[in-house]
Amino acid sequence: MRFRLLEWWRRGRETFRHRDDSQAEDELRFHLEMAELDALRKGQDVREARLRAGGIAQAAEAVRDQRTIGWLSDFLRDSRHGIRMLRRSPLFTIAAIVSLALGIGANTAIFSLIDTVMLRSMPVREPGRLVQFRRDLSYPLFRQFGRELRCFTDMFAQSSLGSRDIILDGEPEAVSAELVSGNYYSLLGVSAFTGRVFDLELDGKPEPVAVISHAYWQRRFGLDPGVIGRSFRWNGRAFTIIGVTPAAFHGVVPGVLPEITLPLSMAGEILDGPAWLTADSRRWLEVMGRLRAGYTIERAQVEVAAIYARVIRTEAEHSIGNEFERQRILAQQMLLEPSGNGFDFLRFRFAEPLRLLMGIVAMILLIACANLANLLLGRATTRRREIAVRLAMGAGRGRLLRQMLTEGMLLATAAGILGVLMAWWSANALVVMMSNGGDRIAVNSRPDFRILAFAACISAAACLLFSIAPAIQATRFRIQPGLADARAARWRLGRGLIASQVAISILLLIGAGLFGRTLLRLYSLETGFHREDVTLVSVKTDGASMSGNALRGRILETLRSLPGVASASFEMSPLSYKGWEASARPEGYTHGFNEDDQVHVSFIAEDYFRTLRTPLILGREFSERDTTASPKVVVVNETFARRYFRGQSPLGKWLTFVGEPDRMQIVGMAQDIRSRSLRGNIPPTVYKDAAQMSRPPSGVYIVRGARIAPLVDSALKQVDGRLRATDVRTLDENLSRAILRERMLGTLSGLFGALSLVLVSLGVYGVMAFHVARRQKEIGIRMALGARPLQVTGMVLSETALPVGAGVVMGVAGALGLARVTEKMIYGVTPTDLVTFAGAVGVLIVLALVAAYVPSRRAARLSPIETLRCE
Amino acid sequence: MSNEPKAGVLQGTLDLMILQTLATLGSLHGYAISARIEQVSSGAIQLNMGTLYPGLMRLEQRGFVRAQWDRTETNRRARYYSITAAGRRQLQTEKTEWARMTAIMQAMLEGDAQ
Repeated sequence: MRFRLLEWWRRGRETFRHRDDSQAEDELRFHLEMAELDALRKGQDVREARLRAGGIAQAAEAVRDQRTIGWLSDFLRDSRHGIRMLRRSPLFTIAAIVSLALGIGANTAIFSLIDTVMLRSMPVREPGRLVQFRRDLSYPLFRQFGRELRCFTDMFAQSSLGSRDIILDGEPEAVSAELVSGNYYSLLGVSAFTGRVFDLELDGKPEPVAVISHAYWQRRFGLDPGVIGRSFRWNGRAFTIIGVTPAAFHGVVPGVLPEITLPLSMAGEILDGPAWLTADSRRWLEVMGRLRAGYTIERAQVEVAAIYARVIRTEAEHSIGNEFERQRILAQQMLLEPSGNGFDFLRFRFAEPLRLLMGIVAMILLIACANLANLLLGRATTRRREIAVRLAMGAGRGRLLRQMLTEGMLLATAAGILGVLMAWWSANALVVMMSNGGDRIAVNSRPDFRILAFAACISAAACLLFSIAPAIQATRFRIQPGLADARAARWRLGRGLIASQVAISILLLIGAGLFGRTLLRLYSLETGFHREDVTLVSVKTDGASMSGNALRGRILETLRSLPGVASASFEMSPLSYKGWEASARPEGYTHGFNEDDQVHVSFIAEDYFRTLRTPLILGREFSERDTTASPKVVVVNETFARRYFRGQSPLGKWLTFVGEPDRMQIVGMAQDIRSRSLRGNIPPTVYKDAAQMSRPPSGVYIVRGARIAPLVDSALKQVDGRLRATDVRTLDENLSRAILRERMLGTLSGLFGALSLVLVSLGVYGVMAFHVARRQKEIGIRMALGARPLQVTGMVLSETALPVGAGVVMGVAGALGLARVTEKMIYGVTPTDLVTFAGAVGVLIVLALVAAYVPSRRAARLSPIETLRCE
Repeated sequence: MSNEPKAGVLQGTLDLMILQTLATLGSLHGYAISARIEQVSSGAIQLNMGTLYPGLMRLEQRGFVRAQWDRTETNRRARYYSITAAGRRQLQTEKTEWARMTAIMQAMLEGDAQ
């Protein structure tokens, strides 16, 4: 065995070595001469002796095969040949590699996002057995499920807190934090990298401890093992770091890397009160369970539904709402879903756009492949003579095919490498885009093994796709090559390529048009407010000497005094319509037994509508004269007035809410304001004055004034040294973030649509240039017989019309077929929007004509004499 | 091919023949090896170059023979092959194996004849 290895090692080494065969041939020649001499001496037939010894060429070939590894050395020879050929036409090579690299890069980039967001399982024990509740639970409900469910061996709860401030070494710093129940790590099967993690006892016996992530340990503490036992302050309370999680563990929410994990049982101290652990109404926990052996998710679902039915029955009985409200409660469902990939807010938000984008980039790759096939086909035709000669000399067709595939593979490999680099760079840009203005999305876009494997696979697939057809085509014709046949076949294939490229590009352009128009529609909607020059400021008030209305008043006063600030106000959750709902009882209106009585309630400060430039249609908005002492007043929106007062003026009408003692008088009616996401209905809304609340809500300051961000911190310091701005951003940024999905689709599909246009015009140009070149002689004769240049151009253009027309028809048909898929993702346009379709078709036809016009004009310009002479 | 050796050379036996020849006669060039094998087999085995030289290359790669250029008695350049220590050991093993094999075959065929 040892000797065999030695043999293969030496053969392998020889394969990569340049060695001239002259010595081997010397030896063989010597052998032959000796054989002849021997025969002469013995008086035998010299010719026969020579025949017996065999031919030198064959023997030399056999020796070479033994010396090296045959297929490998063929491959190397083909590669060297291929590289020489490619170097001889650098423009072709660069065009081919770049267009293919764009295709591969786009695919790899989108795949790496899909991979992190949707495909990657968590590095935990048996992720396939993990199941999550699709809705958030309250702490008591989590406990109740934990006690009563049999289907899970165990279940944990967690809640991401986002970026929070801690005090470490006396300095405040922002960390991303989450709360988890004590069994979190044991259920996932994650043990500490160093120190220890939380255990079950922590749930019953709360302790101020924390576990930090490996990344945070590295970033903040330089991997110092002494970190265990150190402490930081949170909300004024000291927490001790007891352990570090392994580097591979990134938490259970894709894209969110918790740096510090705290025990859920400490929620009362960590957040603002014990209600988080006791109130049924606070549904804030994401819950995951591990299926007991023998249970399927369907069986677990039945158990969960049975318990939950009891829960909502009790809730409905205790509800203070009307019958509609009771029905709403009873209609609630608690669904389970597999969660081996972790909780999936990213998946939920981006799954559809990403899948769509994957389809789009796959099509880009197809177009690029078609182009490359076309280019290779052109080269194969020009190399027709070389190939014919080699076939005639007895080269096997398989050997020739292999050689041509090798060339394709060289191109694909180069393009693959370039593509991965492009993907790396662009995936980072995409991540920035996805997390635009929001919390950091920690998507790992570095090309790891899976992504490289994916890139290699699509490169190989692309290589087969674009080089097989030309290779077969080029080696098919007989030894006596019918030149005209070859060119006609090439024209047939070229036309097919044009048609399919045009079809795909039409599809992409229509998609881009629809998403682009959606974006435009969203931007041009009547929003009810002016977004320009508005800044949103979130303020952290912990430890300030003032609080409540007094503090808010002082902050507003200071913000208003900043240079360039026209006005300032405050809202609990600006422009979101999230959170507060209540059952309204307007004066003079009786709800039907089963009628929805929920209205949205928003808490604002004085000057709110002026700051947003929302027109007040009737009455006034709140002012400094409205206080806790003065009569309670509210402002309603148009939708509210329309619904409850039917064209009568709402001014002066009275309003109560179920469960609240106060009677409130309507003093104003404002124009409807769209929520940040711009889509969706505007609910009937009641604006309450935050200044009239005995327990004022926290919220965000709204300032009309540009570029105040740098001034905010020092202004706040003037009010109180403990105040800090945690987030300052313009309303514009905030809105952009709310329509992130639409922006992403609009921008990327537009980008890819444009890319497809470039590739298609390259393709049309390539095919037509070749087509015209092959008909040079014919054109020369026509012109000699009196055809005018315009007629020649027209003839060539009319020949483009058929494949382009066929492509347009196929593309439009495809777009109509896909209408159902896009429908959910567009807004304000129909999926069969005529303008978009006409636009896409128009742009493509014009471009194809231009691409075909250039070579046709060149043909028409040639002097007939020259054309005929050069043949 | 038209110039196959008259007796088909069993795969593996060629190596054995070459090694045995070199072990007996010392350093030889390729033609001398084939002439010797032809002579010993009384002309039954005639090796063509396409069989012999790849075989020699294989033995060289496995480290059983060593080759170097030298002058013949008539002062011509030729490549001389000689057996190495590893080659001798290999020859010994192969010979034993061959003897064992032929003994078995013999017993078998004679037993059959009865």
